Amino acid sequence: MVNAFDLVWLIAALPFLSFVVSVTVGRWLPKEGALPGIAATAGSLALSLWAFLTVRSSGAHYENELYTWIDAGGFELTFGVLVDPLSSMMLVLVSLVAFLVHVFSMGYMNDDELHREKGGFPRYYAGLGLFSASMLAFVFSSNLLMAFMFFELVGLCSWILIGFWFREEAPPSAAKKAFLVTRFGDYFFLVGVVGILVTFGTSGFADGGFPQIASHFLETGEGADHIWVPGDLDTQTWFSILGLLVLGGVIGKSAQFPLHTWLPDAMEGPTPVSALIHAATMVAAGVYLVARMFGFYAGLPTVLAIIAFIGGFTALFAASMGVVKDDIKQVLAYSTISQYGYMMLALGVGGYVAASFHLLNHAFFKALLFLGAGAVIVATHHHQDMWKLGGLKREMPVTYYTFLAGSLALAGIVPFSGFWSKDEVLYDALLIGLEQPLFLAAYAMGLLAVFLTGFYTFRMVFLTFHGEPRSEHAEHPEPLRWNTKGPLAVLGVLATVTGLLNMKPVAELIGNHDILYLENWLDSGTAANGGEWMGSLTYHHYGHLVHEVAGLHEGSPPPSAELAPIVFGAISLSLALGGALLAKSIYDVPEPERMTDRLGPVGRVVQRNYYLDEFQVWLATGVTEPVARASNTFDQGIIDGAVNATSSVSLFSGERVRRIQSGAVTNYVLVIVMSLIVFVVAVGIVGGWFL
Amino acid sequence: MTVPVEWYLVLSAAVFCIGIFGILTRRNALIFLISVELMLNAANINLVAFSHFYGNATGQVFALFTIGLAAAEVAIGIGIILVLTRNFGEADVTLPTEMRW
Amino acid sequence: MIIEALLAVTLLGGIAVLLAPDRLAGKLAFGISLGPLLGGLWMFWQFDGSGNLMFDSAAKSFESSLSGTTLLSMGPWDVQWLAAVDGISLPLVVLSTILTTLAIVSAWTPIDERQSQFYALVLFMEAALIGVFTALDFFVWFVFWEGVLVPMVLLIGVWGGPRRKYAAIKFLVYTNVASAVLFVGFLGLLAGLDGTITSFALPEISQAIHAGELQGVGPFSPEELATVSFFAMFAGFAVKVPIVPVHTWLPDAHVEAPTPVSVLLAGVLLKMGTYALLRFNFTMLPEVAMANAELIAAIAVISILYGAMLALAQRDLKRIVAYSSVSSMGYVILGLVAFTVYGVGGATFQMLSHGLISGLLFMTVGVIYNTTHTRMVGDMSGLADRMPVASWVFVAGAFGYMGLPLMSGFAAELFVFIGAFGAEGLQYSPIFTALGMFGIVIVAGYLLSAMQKSLFGPFRLETDYEIGRAPFHDVAPLFVLLGLIVLLGVAPDVVFDMVESATQPIVDAAAENGGGA
Repeated sequence: MVNAFDLVWLIAALPFLSFVVSVTVGRWLPKEGALPGIAATAGSLALSLWAFLTVRSSGAHYENELYTWIDAGGFELTFGVLVDPLSSMMLVLVSLVAFLVHVFSMGYMNDDELHREKGGFPRYYAGLGLFSASMLAFVFSSNLLMAFMFFELVGLCSWILIGFWFREEAPPSAAKKAFLVTRFGDYFFLVGVVGILVTFGTSGFADGGFPQIASHFLETGEGADHIWVPGDLDTQTWFSILGLLVLGGVIGKSAQFPLHTWLPDAMEGPTPVSALIHAATMVAAGVYLVARMFGFYAGLPTVLAIIAFIGGFTALFAASMGVVKDDIKQVLAYSTISQYGYMMLALGVGGYVAASFHLLNHAFFKALLFLGAGAVIVATHHHQDMWKLGGLKREMPVTYYTFLAGSLALAGIVPFSGFWSKDEVLYDALLIGLEQPLFLAAYAMGLLAVFLTGFYTFRMVFLTFHGEPRSEHAEHPEPLRWNTKGPLAVLGVLATVTGLLNMKPVAELIGNHDILYLENWLDSGTAANGGEWMGSLTYHHYGHLVHEVAGLHEGSPPPSAELAPIVFGAISLSLALGGALLAKSIYDVPEPERMTDRLGPVGRVVQRNYYLDEFQVWLATGVTEPVARASNTFDQGIIDGAVNATSSVSLFSGERVRRIQSGAVTNYVLVIVMSLIVFVVAVGIVGGWFL
Repeated sequence: MTVPVEWYLVLSAAVFCIGIFGILTRRNALIFLISVELMLNAANINLVAFSHFYGNATGQVFALFTIGLAAAEVAIGIGIILVLTRNFGEADVTLPTEMRW
Repeated sequence: MIIEALLAVTLLGGIAVLLAPDRLAGKLAFGISLGPLLGGLWMFWQFDGSGNLMFDSAAKSFESSLSGTTLLSMGPWDVQWLAAVDGISLPLVVLSTILTTLAIVSAWTPIDERQSQFYALVLFMEAALIGVFTALDFFVWFVFWEGVLVPMVLLIGVWGGPRRKYAAIKFLVYTNVASAVLFVGFLGLLAGLDGTITSFALPEISQAIHAGELQGVGPFSPEELATVSFFAMFAGFAVKVPIVPVHTWLPDAHVEAPTPVSVLLAGVLLKMGTYALLRFNFTMLPEVAMANAELIAAIAVISILYGAMLALAQRDLKRIVAYSSVSSMGYVILGLVAFTVYGVGGATFQMLSHGLISGLLFMTVGVIYNTTHTRMVGDMSGLADRMPVASWVFVAGAFGYMGLPLMSGFAAELFVFIGAFGAEGLQYSPIFTALGMFGIVIVAGYLLSAMQKSLFGPFRLETDYEIGRAPFHDVAPLFVLLGLIVLLGVAPDVVFDMVESATQPIVDAAAENGGGA
């Protein structure tokens, strides 16, 4: 019988095949590449589910030598697969979202008149296929180098797809920005990868991989002679540096402060692409990477603190910008940044399960929200300014109710999925924060962001769907077909129910930890190929590292242990509800007003994204370009100038010296005679004739 | 009574200087030729004088060679002067400066 | 005999093309160039050698019976015919033959006068290039080395752009001065080995130096002589590579040269410099290189970053690619000075990879130029609308240059970085490597900007004619190169195995002689 694990590579190969088909013969196919894409991602989804179920029944699987890329000089660099609870869950998630996005794209692109006019569908579906393939391969990567390679390919695909409408001005520029900003992060990542390869001689994630070596060393101090450390650096410091370097790539791809600026601009791409980028592929890749190599981070308290702090800060910072945006996609973009901030916060406090949980929930509700926004956009003939929408509730009920489900999840209203995961993130942060003040600050920022999230989410819902239509397009939206509604319905259901996977407060209350399905799933540790190594990829192990090696102890919350999750859950729920109600009171009226103008200078600063975009543009055009121009001037002037000067000096001196030759014989004779006289006199003086 | 050798030398130096003066101050190619002749003859005087002074015939043989050489030189020189006059209308040596670079 | 046959076919073919009528010359030259191409590929297929030719341990491959024939006797020394290949030179030979054939095909459109002379010169140059990469006798090698210059200068100076004479003379003078310097440097080594060697054979010289037979000359002790010779040769080769600050001939030559010549210039000629650095400096005098590792690494890093910054300031597509070559060749130097298998092997791999990728980019710029008659970024926009194939191939090549995984550029740069990061002989190696790696961000910056401005956005180009389809023979070479780039990126082992076997002895010798620092 064929083993699911032997076919894991096909999960990525199928979408890649659809990429090849779309590129080569796509333009002659009936839906110009949509059908192979749908078929391929459906196949990936089926295989992923199979792999998931196989992990459930027979345990995880690790194979580091699917293909040897290079084998030289002491270590080999390979491609392999690692299918454990985390990656199999992620595979299902990514292939599901990719599949739904492909289906939705048929409605969004092929059925829309304007998009048909613009054309380029084979390129679009080729991009989607390659995007899905790279992300899926990234997810099942067995080592960091392979992960990096597909991480970069994900970046390439985002460039292709964000700049999909390349005949306009803005999309290519946004694509460039997205690639450059993430490339800046990836630079640090690449240094980190190279460093890890050199330090440990391997970049494997699992069996004998670098997280294992590192945590073993940190725990016991053994194995130091197999670890290369530059100069006389302290080994733990060096590990922290490596961890921070890799984190650079994570910050870039997961759009964390200060490298988040590319993501709002990336809205220039087609909306289904935004759904794919935000929910399941590119942005998720960063957080997934930290989770994947969490065994490395878990033992490094400094790095954990930085991760947590960046996460908490980003959550608040992005939420504050989401409050003032007028474009529905921009609001969603900032909410994405904010939500990934939560995941980083969770990872920073050792909340591996909470982060994975939020990653899962977020993937579903954010894909849902983006696809819903896409549905609104095609239905209203490409209007995405919320002030030109309104009142769509009546005409687009399916879109409205699914969008509402997604919004409730995003805002964190019980019992929708976002509540459970966000609550768990914050609870984990609080537990660490009670002992470590720095983490408490991160927690506080995360908590404040909950209020803002509730506010901007419902501001968006009310402005888009409630009230009276504020433009004629919003009055008569185009009807949608099954291929747009279907994915929305599927995701709507998922966004509502996935929270039930890990109801921590309920579990604590009833004292039954069996209903923490996700936690148990991520803690399951039998190995398909029989090794002990799976233990190093479990939640327990990570928890042990965070608490014992990194020394981040959990404080005990003031109320009793059973009630505490409920109490703090209630706090964050009431904050979210408060935000939602505030939004209702302001915007759920027939004639809502623009409140942003009343915020004065603060509002302007926030609306301009704290001038961070301007700052980065200034870095590029105000610093780098002048330096480049100056070096060019230096090069042309000084270096090439010196070269040309050598030739000019020769030419010039030749020009001058030849003037001695006047052509008049008389002058020559004079020179001869004078020389003779000078010579004779000189000889005379030296010879002493005149003495 | 024999004339002291110094007198010959003074004479030769005087003739040589007259030749140089001619070359330096005049522009006519013919005068040039004449001046060059003067200088050659100054050298000849020197050669003959020393030859007589030392009682050795080598100097006089040399002088004969010089005279022969001067004749050949005059032949070529006059040829050049003819071409010069044909091209420039006069035998001014400062006119033809095009060939220098 | 295969090496001699390659040389003879190319040389005689060049003469035949010279005599052929103009309208046949292009096709004839293409046909003739298939000979060395197939020969090169056959050699690649049949290669059974191992080790490095400079060392005793090498198992020589394709060494013919003519080897060792004395061509000339100069006092105590003999000039011999010695030609063979190893894992370093064979890939470069193959690269030269591939790029020459493709350059000839890509010249069919732009070259429309004095065709037979043009193609004959290209073939002469190919012969000289094969000679440079195969000759193992210093004198013969030097003749080939200088022999490359003559066709190149003529190709730039006759078929080039408006400032072709300036560029050609600059190139000639620059490289000739450099040759003089390296010649003197090498003569220094010969003088130091006076009495121990009987020929100019490079392996013999190299092994004599490794055996410690280098003696002092005049006021110089053996160590000083080695250092002086090393830097004289380094300076000489640096011009060809080129390394900052002796790089300024390159942009002028590239901009003025016709596109097919640019392809060869960037693709193969620059590799002569790095190949010679590897063969001479880093193989013969590793201890000097290691003693000055920090200095050389600093020069490499400056080349990388400074070249990239210069590329950022350019507006001419060809100048951008030209300056980025300066940047890319810096990686080669960084890899060489690391003296690790991945470093030196990665440097060799980067030579191949850069040859293919820069060749691809120059060729694509040429295809665009054939149509638009401009190369200035500001003069056009939205070309992807009218020239989709050329534009997307340019995109692919640009991403290859940026080091996109699964393309050869990434493999090469990664190997260099891995090799340099943990280099034992190089102090502060992680910092040097990290600084050099920043080049990958700048390269993305300028290539993406150039693409965004010229290929994307609304279509704009002032022409009074319709933009037609590029002919098949313009586009086909692009896909050949792209295929090779992806092949090397996906399966670097195809080449890296033989490269590794040839670089391992260098690394070992360095560890032995340099004492591993």
